Amino acid sequence: MITTIQGFRGAGRVLGLVAIAVGGGSAWAAPGDPPASAVSAAERIYAAAPARLLQFRTLVAGAERQSSTGSGFLVTADGLAITNYHVVSQVALDPKTYRLEYAAADGNRGEAKLLAIDLANDLAVVHLDRRDAPFFAFDEAAMARGLPKGERLYSMGNPLDLGFTINEGIYNGLVERSYNERMHFTGALNPGMSGGPAVTAEGLVVGVNVAKRTGAELVSFLVPARFAAALLQRVRDNEAAPPQDFRAEIGRQLAARQAGLYKSFGDRGFRSIAFGPYQAPETTAPWFNCSAQTNAGATPKPRASINSMNCRSDTNLFIANDLTTGSIQLSHSYVTTADLNQFQFATFLTRQSQPFLGQPILIGGGPSLKWHTTQRCHEDFVAAAAAPNHPPLRVVWCAQAYREFDGLYDVALTAVTEDHGTEALVSRLGLQAVAYADAVALSKRFLEAVQK
Amino acid sequence: MIWVEILSRHREVAARLRIAGDEACIGRGYDNDVIVDDPYVAARHVRVCRDEAGRLIAEDAGSKNGMFLDHGIAREARIVLDAERPIRIGHTYLRIREASYAVPGERLARARTQTWPITIAVGLSVVTLGIEALFVWLAQTAEPRASTYLTPLLIVAASVLAWVSVWAVLSRIFSGRARFVQNLLIALSGILVISLYREFAQFSAFALAWPAATNYEYAVLWSILAAVCFFHLRETGRSRLVLKGAFVVTLLALAIAVQTVLRSEALSDSGRQNTFRQLMPPMLRLAPVRDQSTFFAEIERLKAGLDMERTQARADDAARP
Repeated sequence: MITTIQGFRGAGRVLGLVAIAVGGGSAWAAPGDPPASAVSAAERIYAAAPARLLQFRTLVAGAERQSSTGSGFLVTADGLAITNYHVVSQVALDPKTYRLEYAAADGNRGEAKLLAIDLANDLAVVHLDRRDAPFFAFDEAAMARGLPKGERLYSMGNPLDLGFTINEGIYNGLVERSYNERMHFTGALNPGMSGGPAVTAEGLVVGVNVAKRTGAELVSFLVPARFAAALLQRVRDNEAAPPQDFRAEIGRQLAARQAGLYKSFGDRGFRSIAFGPYQAPETTAPWFNCSAQTNAGATPKPRASINSMNCRSDTNLFIANDLTTGSIQLSHSYVTTADLNQFQFATFLTRQSQPFLGQPILIGGGPSLKWHTTQRCHEDFVAAAAAPNHPPLRVVWCAQAYREFDGLYDVALTAVTEDHGTEALVSRLGLQAVAYADAVALSKRFLEAVQK
Repeated sequence: MIWVEILSRHREVAARLRIAGDEACIGRGYDNDVIVDDPYVAARHVRVCRDEAGRLIAEDAGSKNGMFLDHGIAREARIVLDAERPIRIGHTYLRIREASYAVPGERLARARTQTWPITIAVGLSVVTLGIEALFVWLAQTAEPRASTYLTPLLIVAASVLAWVSVWAVLSRIFSGRARFVQNLLIALSGILVISLYREFAQFSAFALAWPAATNYEYAVLWSILAAVCFFHLRETGRSRLVLKGAFVVTLLALAIAVQTVLRSEALSDSGRQNTFRQLMPPMLRLAPVRDQSTFFAEIERLKAGLDMERTQARADDAARP
């Protein structure tokens, strides 16, 4: 069962996740005694950490109430710190309502100013008003992707606002078949630790805590340190003032990332897979999670059989607490019956596809009018070509524009074959945060690939 | 000899009195030829007599409230009686006719109670229920069960009966006759038209790729309901049809307007556009299969609308403090 990778935030969600934190803690106690050197390594690392390990708090300006928390760490002597974009997203999106504050593990606290973001890698650079503070250095081996699998890593942060902690875990290589480069960290990450550093036994940063898999044990993810170093370099190179309007910057970065994603998706192309007599397009991109379903085992025995396949890309991006977008979904259902007449079959098909007709079926970031304009749809009978191997299709195309982000749309395409009374292929393509021209080009190729 | 008739508000004769001479006094007092028990009538209110030309006339005998012709609002001192239009004193209508008044010829009695309305009603009921059952069957995707047929059919039958009974009672109150069969015929025709239209709308939405047929279905359904109500109202009495029609049309316009507003608000809340709701067998397709480039030209055209909406939304956001 594939579960979503969820970015986690601070205090707002603490209650619901306490159980996970407790479970993780007891799991650690189970194995035999850890080697004495590791214990001392953790002690040594943590002893040096306090002045450079940070907690970030987002406060509602005016009310001075804490809205969410995350972690971070200093990386220069003049007060530049790294954290996750999702830790500071409220401040980036709505600086009038929220402000950012830091508290170091040594008790120092003060205002923090957002300087730069990297949306695709969920990173942010923040400036603190501190001089000559100790800071973390990046690990050179990790920067060159030379970190060996099995390396012991220590992740730090302030989970659930309970106080600063250090966790031991194992580096397990890069996550395979992932669009975003992520390090697989087998260790406990908990809400509030986002943005904290993961370091080697020498105390050098190899990654930034970012997410964990829910419904799994100790499967956590780190953003590789080289992305943080690159963002830091961008801030240094560009000494000019940070963007006045981070919303526009978010729109730019999202558009650039999505353009790359859809180019890569398009370049990979489709391969054909058979569904009954039909040929349906399936993506060759490796960063899709696919699953197949059938209703063969349902009781009472269904009078029409459904074989379906559903693929979803792991390319979701956290934009705001109520908007996660950027994934691609592709699905096919082959429905056939020997038992129902044509009208009954059409009704069956309608019921099967009803929740999805014209709806983006992507999980996470369902369309809300806060972020989207109202939907516009067009439907018709379409044939990709007059050739007999291109059956006529009933196609529904629905699109919504992003209110904030120029040139980006959510598009849902549903095509139902119309060449046979008692069998049909229902194909869907969902494209989130896509440029219109990309959506049209991909949809054309998708429809052309539905063949008999 | 003349006859004085006291009429009800519905112009039915409540009392009829014969006057031997050509002259009659009418009022509340006991010294009159015709006594009217209406507190708004004077002790002696009207005198009926013949004028020089021999026509029957009514004269106001000095009442405070006066005398009026039928629904008129102008007070009359003297009215030449035409045997058809009544005069009004207080709240009472009076019609005065001479003994020589020519009544219309007798209406021919029907040989037997007519059976064709009942036959038609039974036929319509069977057709309506049959169509409902057919639709249930066509939408049947699970194992067939008696309840899937019985429940909707019983619901339809029960609601038709309840609806017709209400109208029959109204008809009985206002016209004196229940006209159950006529009301049943109207209701059944209405249901038949509604279910045929719904299928037609679904068919058009699918086969002609014309989603407006189902999107604006509600307006047509309200119109059919309004027509049904009008015919029911006609059964309660053939008088003032224009008024009844205007009333029904006003309610219809109101209903359509309210539902349009509700739907547009729901759309702007959900942001979801209605697309086709019902697939049908491919053999029913009437619309031509479009060339892919034609379809995508339409799609390109959608973009302008989306971008316009985005600009509009931004402007709205900017206008808000």
